[in-house]
Amino acid sequence: MTGLAVIREIAPSARVANDAVIGSFCVVGPHVTIGPGTVLIRRVVVLGHTTIGSANIVEEGCVLGAEPQDLKYGGSPTLLIIGHRNRFGPRVTAHIGTEDGGCLTRIGNDNLLSDGCHIAHDCYVEDKVHLGRNVLLAGHVLVETGAVVGDLAGAHHFTTIGRYARVGPRTPVRRDVPPFTHFYSQDHERIPPAVRGVHQEGIAAAGLAVAEEAELRKALKELFDDETALQTKIEQLVSMGVEGSALALCEFCQRSLQGVYGRYRELLRGQPPPEAAKFMPPQEQVNIRRPSS
Amino acid sequence: MPQISPNAMVEKSAELADDVRVGPFAYIGPAVRIGPGCVIDTGASILGRTTLGAKCHVFPFTVIGADAGQTGNGECFIGQANSFREHVTICAGLKAPTRIGDDNLIMIGCQIGPAAVIGDHCILTNSTQIEGRSQIDDYVGTSAFTYVSAGVRVGSYTYIAGYTGVEDHAPPFAMVQGCPARVRGVNSNKLRRCGFGDDDIRALKEAFRDLFNGAADAADPQVLRRMEADASLNPHVRRVVEALRERVGEDSRK
Repeated sequence: MTGLAVIREIAPSARVANDAVIGSFCVVGPHVTIGPGTVLIRRVVVLGHTTIGSANIVEEGCVLGAEPQDLKYGGSPTLLIIGHRNRFGPRVTAHIGTEDGGCLTRIGNDNLLSDGCHIAHDCYVEDKVHLGRNVLLAGHVLVETGAVVGDLAGAHHFTTIGRYARVGPRTPVRRDVPPFTHFYSQDHERIPPAVRGVHQEGIAAAGLAVAEEAELRKALKELFDDETALQTKIEQLVSMGVEGSALALCEFCQRSLQGVYGRYRELLRGQPPPEAAKFMPPQEQVNIRRPSS
Repeated sequence: MPQISPNAMVEKSAELADDVRVGPFAYIGPAVRIGPGCVIDTGASILGRTTLGAKCHVFPFTVIGADAGQTGNGECFIGQANSFREHVTICAGLKAPTRIGDDNLIMIGCQIGPAAVIGDHCILTNSTQIEGRSQIDDYVGTSAFTYVSAGVRVGSYTYIAGYTGVEDHAPPFAMVQGCPARVRGVNSNKLRRCGFGDDDIRALKEAFRDLFNGAADAADPQVLRRMEADASLNPHVRRVVEALRERVGEDSRK
């Protein structure tokens, strides 16, 4: 520590753990909770009803908990809940939820969000996710555990990026990305965005049992070597009695097919997603209601 | 009295309306005028000869009125009820002012170049890059990572899809996509939301089909001439034709 005075503004009603470090030029709003060991390095703004867990590192220029960029947001005190041991690179922005989307934006544990990432309203980022630089997640996006998203990729509203999937750099994600796949595009037209292979490192990182891994690889090959007649192939695989990750893959693809333009979560439009209840305290669910008009 | 955080820096000669709120670590330059009801959040900078209309909200770390030479002489005129989200940069024009209309939503990380002109009710999504001297008309929507080249005009009600590089004038009412950008259809959802009738939308769709014939790079000059001569042409289609004529005229001068 240098001898310079730390200039910062922490609202008196903010709940900040004793060993949390709030650096110079940080602003912490009145309804914010910051857990032990979390470090806000410098020039970090935390607003809204935001809860940050323990041992997170938040770098310069981050703005967490600002109001959503959504015209239907009615101004309710919705939530942003961040778990533990995440690292936020410089200029990351994350917004609170909207009333129609379940009132909650959730970032899990052990994630790495690189420079300039944007986590929009009602997104769910699970655990061990790596978002590259300037990745933009639109509203209501679900990024499942272990997904890796390349620099400058953008996810459309209501898309899901599956477990341990990989999205290539500068790739527009307009439909769900199945688990354990490698999804990329180049120049958007020459090689349009699609599943282009298996994410080998993802399968390794998931630490599956040998039999399960073999079954998963078989299912991935069966489904995505040639992506025609996906519905029939899913049915075949399920009737063959696949289990574990392979079954989860089939179910994921089945849900995406049922959705709108390959986006399952479009079906959840206007209602809280199933994940919301898991993370939101029941009293908050009662309190946050859109004023009836 | 404006509510100014003790940690904010507001130059004495800046003109702030009575109910302006300025957050901590914000900087307001000496030649800035800010209208009533504006909120300037943490760490935002308003520089140059910038005028902000009523009820604008400037979010943290946004810079308005920057000019490359740091002269502080750039001009920027901003209308009412605009929302500038986090990390937006609006450059001030030195030869001609940068102008932004009313009721625009400019999302995180957008950058607007010097002397650009933006109309009313536009929604510029995250990381949209608008270069200098370009003109964006009313009700334009962009998607993420859109790029609009210098001196280009984007017609009103046009939607630009994600990752699109607009390097030539885009006609009004269109959906534009690709690199380089091509007209892909009519922005019918937006038109319907803005109260356009079914007849108008149908007429526009037919006109775009004739003019661009699938995914042509430019409008068919023969069809353009035929439409221009048609006295009973739908007034909205006429606007499209005029916008395209402007572009064709420019091309012929080259």
